[in-house]
Amino acid sequence: MNKKKNRNVAIIGSGQTKLSSHREDVNQPEMIHEAVAEALEDAGMTIDDIDCVVHGNMELFEMVHQPDMWHVIGDGAYGKAGLRLTTGGTTGATLVCAADNLVASGLHDVVMAVGFEKLQEGHTTGGITNMADPLWGRSLQTGALTGTTAYDVMEEFGAQRAKRASMKYRVIMDKHAMLNHKAHRRFGLSDDQIDAMAENSPPLVGELRMIHMCSQSDGACAMIFASEDKVEELSANPAWVVDHETVHREETLAFFEGAYRGTKSTHRVAAERLFARNGITDPRNQIDVFEMYDPSSWWGLDWMREFLLLEGDEHLKMVENDDIAIDGAFPINPSGGVIASNPIGATAMIRVAEAAMQVRGTAGAHQVKKDVNLALASGFGGTFWTVLILLSKELPQ
Amino acid sequence: MSAREEHAFVVEGKMALPYQYFAGTVGSTFLVALRDEQKILGIRCDTCNKVFIPPRATCERCFSDLTDKWVELPGTGIVTGFTVVRYEEPYQPKKPPFVLALIRLDGADTPFVHLLESGDPAELQIGLKVKAVFAEKRIGSLLDISHFAPVP
Amino acid sequence: MAEDEVKQELIVSKQVISVPQRFATGPVMGYFLQELRDNARIMANRCPECGRHQVPPREVCAVCRLEADQWDEVGPEGVIRHYDIVYYASPDPLTGETREVPYVLAWIKLDGTSGDAYFWHMLKENDPSKIRKGLRVRAVFNENRVGAPSDIRHFEIIEAQESGGEQ
Repeated sequence: MNKKKNRNVAIIGSGQTKLSSHREDVNQPEMIHEAVAEALEDAGMTIDDIDCVVHGNMELFEMVHQPDMWHVIGDGAYGKAGLRLTTGGTTGATLVCAADNLVASGLHDVVMAVGFEKLQEGHTTGGITNMADPLWGRSLQTGALTGTTAYDVMEEFGAQRAKRASMKYRVIMDKHAMLNHKAHRRFGLSDDQIDAMAENSPPLVGELRMIHMCSQSDGACAMIFASEDKVEELSANPAWVVDHETVHREETLAFFEGAYRGTKSTHRVAAERLFARNGITDPRNQIDVFEMYDPSSWWGLDWMREFLLLEGDEHLKMVENDDIAIDGAFPINPSGGVIASNPIGATAMIRVAEAAMQVRGTAGAHQVKKDVNLALASGFGGTFWTVLILLSKELPQ
Repeated sequence: MSAREEHAFVVEGKMALPYQYFAGTVGSTFLVALRDEQKILGIRCDTCNKVFIPPRATCERCFSDLTDKWVELPGTGIVTGFTVVRYEEPYQPKKPPFVLALIRLDGADTPFVHLLESGDPAELQIGLKVKAVFAEKRIGSLLDISHFAPVP
Repeated sequence: MAEDEVKQELIVSKQVISVPQRFATGPVMGYFLQELRDNARIMANRCPECGRHQVPPREVCAVCRLEADQWDEVGPEGVIRHYDIVYYASPDPLTGETREVPYVLAWIKLDGTSGDAYFWHMLKENDPSKIRKGLRVRAVFNENRVGAPSDIRHFEIIEAQESGGEQ
């Protein structure tokens, strides 16, 4: 499939609130405003420069219907074109795709995307259960937890090696979070705690333990997308949106079938298509950094193989050898990823914002050491909905 | 064996979940003033020259910071729109018929929705002068004002 | 914050939002639920093109996008394809109750089904260490059935398995 853009699009600014579980000091539009103001400042613009606002979050998680209307007070969307999107956990990434498409089409020159969640006000388990088929799945489903992937990885590589690798992944993610002042949970974990945590962290489901699992956070993210002409006009520091691919499957009534080993995962399909279109034959060497949507360390570990089109135990080795560390050969989630911070409606957008910061060189203490030309970001949601986005420092040809 | 129209039926369901909404620092100041002092506060944008109620931390148009730009408003104002609710639903604040009105307090630029109690339906019109009546029991909510009533 | 500044009271509005709902089953799911209720049997529908089953049924084959208008009785026994032992007692949003933990969810390949649609339900087993992929299980129906997932109370492991089970 050929994806034709009418013109190039770049990310020229982004903002995030401090991701936390205690934002009692602001209501929803005020929280969103913090991210919007930061994005505008980062882009060197005012709200008057924005043509269109695309807004999203997890549908009804805070039980506020069409919150984009209320949030006009904070996001400055009054009098502007607008769009609201919600695609579950992938919402933030889908908002990025929409903003990119709107600017690439020629319809708008500058689009701001806003994703948020205020999980402390809502009911996360209820929200997730609400997604299930009300005639069957709802009575069985409880939240988004599954241990099936842990069993599969342990079965394939042996329990001890698998548990150590997934826990090492966890520690690396925390080390990255410690460098990101916006991250929600920052524990200061170290390698010598790996074996103890693998035994003692309370199990949630099977071998999925509390320490492996992502946060529930409050937070908002805003990003500004501009056309090539605008980038030049503003002398902006761009991260170009090269391409994006969305793949999902939903035919089962189970929230997580845990059985994608029989068929190709949506992650692998998305990577194959995106890489084929963009001449990426060796992702580990051609791509410089990957902000992956990792809801748990088991999935983060397992999905490395899917996204990077690896075979065998190459992905375990990448973790065991610290390749994925911030100063490693293929850094993953220098921001700390989803395990450290998860304001769901913003989370997938934050992956792209963080990847863009790496390209633009604005990540501060969690900037990767190597030069970044190509950055990859993924979004994920049940039931295996994948969004994969490619950014570059060089202008796409 | 096959699925036919007569196999279709209806399943009753329900979602009942607890939620909590934080007013934020600005919203809390407003609600605490209603509850403890029976005082109605608006907030002012000096750039746009507008007074907003309910108050908010930022001006939505010019993005100015409105923190601490409090304006005490009188309990009097006018009706800028209204509707008489006649059908019954479990989630309504009162049993119908009752009147929902947009009230613009003197000194404010934004109207807000509240309940209007009037003995005489004929007097309901845009421009009607009204006054806030506070509730006996106040908890820090917009209904600490029980309703608005026409000024005699 | 200065020491003499009083910490501001932050107002929170707490609400239980209760939304009553009514869902139409449609003929396909309606037929499936009625067969559970009236005949304690599990019906799956089958695609006329690729032959894969869907259970619970969907009107259209997810792979071929054709009406899956063929029906077969499947189960009530099957094989565990995958499972989850749940230790975390998250509350049931429908009732507010927390399930007793640990409890087990399983994905089951019901006898007579073709393809990759696994049946997702509860598995009752007091000793979770006994559970592994490939064990044979059977559905246990309730006496009083209403046309709902709970008409199958749970699945249970069949004692005296004939072989060691597939891995």
